[in-house]
Amino acid sequence: MLFRIAWKNIWRSPTRSFVVMGAIVLGVWATIFMISFTYGMVSSYVDNAIENQISHIQVHVPDFTKDQEYQYYFENPEHLLAEAKMVEGYRAATVRTLIKGAFSTSKGMRGIEIRGVIPAEEANVTKLDQKLVDGKYFQEEGKNQCLVSQRIADKLGVKVRSKIVLTFQDLQGQVTAGAFRVVGIFDTGNAPFDNGNVFVKEADLNRLLGEENIAHEMALILNDPRQVGAAKAFLQQELPDFKVETYREISPDVQLYESQIQNSVNIFIVIIMLALVFGIINTMLMAVLERYRELGMLMAIGMNKVRVFLMIFLETIFLALVAFIPGLLLGYLSVNYFNVYGINLSAFSKGLEQFGMSKMVYPTLEQGVYLQMAIAVAITGILASIYPAWKAINLKPVDAIRKI
Amino acid sequence: MSIITTKAVTKVYNPTTIPVEALRGVDLTVEQGEFTAIVGPSGSGKTTLLNIIGGLDRPTDGYVEVNGKDISKLNDNRLIDFRKDNIGFVFQAYNLIPVLTAKENVEFVMLLQKRSKAERDARSEELLTAVGLDDQMDRRPAQLSGGQQQRVAVARALASKPSFVLADEPTANLDSKSTANLLDIMARLNKEEGVTFVFSTHDQRVIDRARRVITLVDGAIASDERKES
Repeated sequence: MLFRIAWKNIWRSPTRSFVVMGAIVLGVWATIFMISFTYGMVSSYVDNAIENQISHIQVHVPDFTKDQEYQYYFENPEHLLAEAKMVEGYRAATVRTLIKGAFSTSKGMRGIEIRGVIPAEEANVTKLDQKLVDGKYFQEEGKNQCLVSQRIADKLGVKVRSKIVLTFQDLQGQVTAGAFRVVGIFDTGNAPFDNGNVFVKEADLNRLLGEENIAHEMALILNDPRQVGAAKAFLQQELPDFKVETYREISPDVQLYESQIQNSVNIFIVIIMLALVFGIINTMLMAVLERYRELGMLMAIGMNKVRVFLMIFLETIFLALVAFIPGLLLGYLSVNYFNVYGINLSAFSKGLEQFGMSKMVYPTLEQGVYLQMAIAVAITGILASIYPAWKAINLKPVDAIRKI
Repeated sequence: MSIITTKAVTKVYNPTTIPVEALRGVDLTVEQGEFTAIVGPSGSGKTTLLNIIGGLDRPTDGYVEVNGKDISKLNDNRLIDFRKDNIGFVFQAYNLIPVLTAKENVEFVMLLQKRSKAERDARSEELLTAVGLDDQMDRRPAQLSGGQQQRVAVARALASKPSFVLADEPTANLDSKSTANLLDIMARLNKEEGVTFVFSTHDQRVIDRARRVITLVDGAIASDERKES
């Protein structure tokens, strides 16, 4: 009967109960949505970085990662690709030649990283072929083709079919230059990357460098990022003379984002739940003070303090749980809706792209967060019930009964 | 057999600031089966005495024995348990649980006593029938008149099979008809089932029906009259 009384008590003042329930629904929904949005932003950043730049795993000659100097290359990269294909969860891999140089046109010049790629393999790893906004991807026929980003193209007045000159040091340390024809213009949505990179065919770059069969980097994409640890261990064992790194090691900012997301989630939950605790305490305290005489009567006729405490406790928990369910449902539905259709942040796209994020954010949430929310709301209810229940059990029946 | 005994009970409110002496050495004995009214003007100490006898308040001095047990020495939790099993209360403002039906209100105290469902059902129906509410069992307090609510309160007070029932101004909020009806019921329960009733009242209709009238003046017993039954 205690459960029944507690349940009925929360409907005594429906307006008051609905107001606090509304606050809980809103709080739960807002928390879920904010967390999913944060997850969406972080995964947009991480995915963008992995897809455009880092991949899941990279392999280099050890000294290359220190200085990024052109002489730290490996020969016969095919055997590295063969090893990569043995990795469990392998999706695609490619090798690249990376050289720092200068990009010049009749309008100006700028420092740049020249990425010599194998077109078909690069498309499998970075989907570069899908990021073209003008022109075409590398063609089988034709030497010295290059892909330029929209940002550089705009700044240096480059169009499809424009001729540009790339200048760099060859493997003997001599300054060399090559004239390239722009065949396509790309936009990865990642401003720092687009501002600093140009793509050419590996074969063309290697020829200018003076060594045909070399590469500076192997990049590997896995089917599931969670396999990255095992993949690294395997490759490091198979390629002991090379430096094998995961995306977290290559880009500490990605690791920072990934590790801090759980902290952000916890902070969101704590802030919103704290606000709710005070809202619920206020409502329950009103409910207790309003029923002061009735509570005095219950204690007078023999309801002990444990039962009175339990009754107020149950009322608070019911209030929180009844509101939690629609809040959770609303959160679940909105996360799933926006996960499919996305949230267009094009109004802020310039700023987002500067940080390497795309303008569409797809909120996403792990199932575990719903459980965390349930636990958080239960703890909120428990905390919020303590003070009103304590007030109730400390009343003196003889004074309470006389209250008007 | 005496079920209530008070010896030199005094009660002083605000002893450290502005002391108010509500009871001054009250000696009282109530026997099983009495139908007693404690009367007196406002401020004479009626309610204070009833609260102390009922274990809702503690005396400043003296002691109170109920069924041979000194209740003035029990701690709060033991007093609650003692009240549950030994004393029935009827309050001036009915004080029913608004979210429960009449039957559930009567059952409630038996639930606290952990009685079986069958026993709770049987006794609550029997008591509500005894107070003339057998057709109102499923109604909530808000759906009952003041007189009907007070009859539910009487049934609730009897549900725990207490040694006695304390009623603080039970007719104060009732009209004449309801008062007469309630008094009839309580008198019948007293006569036929031997239930002991102790009222505090200044309602002449209650005083007229009481078989013993104790008059308090300024916190002391001024007279104690027993009527011929």
